[in-house]
Amino acid sequence: MIKKKLYQLPFLLFVIILLIFFYLLIIDRTPSKIPSALLNKSVPVFEANSLLIDDKFHSPNEFTKEITLVNFFATWCKPCRDEHIYIQRFATNNQLKVIGINYKDNSEKTIQWLKKLGNPYSNIAIDNNGKIAIDWGVYGIPETFVVDSKGIIKYRHVGPVTKKVYKKINMIIAELE
Amino acid sequence: MITKKNLIKVLFICLLQFLINNSNAVEPDEILANKKQEMNARNISKNIRCMVCQNQSIDESDAPLAKDLRILIRKQIQEGKTDKEIYVFLTDRYGDFILLKPPLKLNTFALWFLPLVFVLIGFFIIYYHHKKSNKI
Repeated sequence: MIKKKLYQLPFLLFVIILLIFFYLLIIDRTPSKIPSALLNKSVPVFEANSLLIDDKFHSPNEFTKEITLVNFFATWCKPCRDEHIYIQRFATNNQLKVIGINYKDNSEKTIQWLKKLGNPYSNIAIDNNGKIAIDWGVYGIPETFVVDSKGIIKYRHVGPVTKKVYKKINMIIAELE
Repeated sequence: MITKKNLIKVLFICLLQFLINNSNAVEPDEILANKKQEMNARNISKNIRCMVCQNQSIDESDAPLAKDLRILIRKQIQEGKTDKEIYVFLTDRYGDFILLKPPLKLNTFALWFLPLVFVLIGFFIIYYHHKKSNKI
């Protein structure tokens, strides 16, 4: 009797593993997307040159008053251009403070780019050598972070903001407010 | 024509390729003058995942981020940081995922010990099977 059950064991294990794989297949999940290690932590402290104003960009000071969106972008990055319309929507429709971090880019080109497409950013930090990006755990731009009014990172999205992501970030912001 | 001799030669070269593990992406300008420090940097780099390619270490990856991290690790070594401090610096920013070898934690417990459990189950099955065949 025990032996008979024992022979069923591999088959049973196989079915269980199959079910687990099938479950992982149907749920909405992208294995290549990694959760941010910075979630629920304070924004990194850094200082950089600002693209828009003659003053330095001081990291924690910029994030203490209101919910802020942080967007890593560059003019050489095509998906950044694709998501630009949504970043702008955050600034105009939602009246959100949006901070840009210009990743390994040409400042001259960026200014032209923003003139042509419109500027949703209240301030832009220049990240010449990608050091700010490393501090934020960024591995592929565009990346967008939601920071609450206390300067705590609440959400990170890797890749361009699409209609679906735009809605999701809106929901997160509504929850924070 | 593929003769036996040629085939052996080809196989020998293939085998040699396996033994000489020279697939690093470190560029000449990155290499530190201090050999000991450079060795240390290489060892750390081999354990750090390239977040862009994900199945390569930053030692092997040509991705710009991998290069940035290689330079950063070398800079921190020169500043006198310990290996542990460098690993903590990286995992603070990128999480445990950046380590190619997952650390033994509560949430990775199954990952580390389930293979052992399966081996034990295997032995168990073989043992019972053997017992049964002996009876016949």
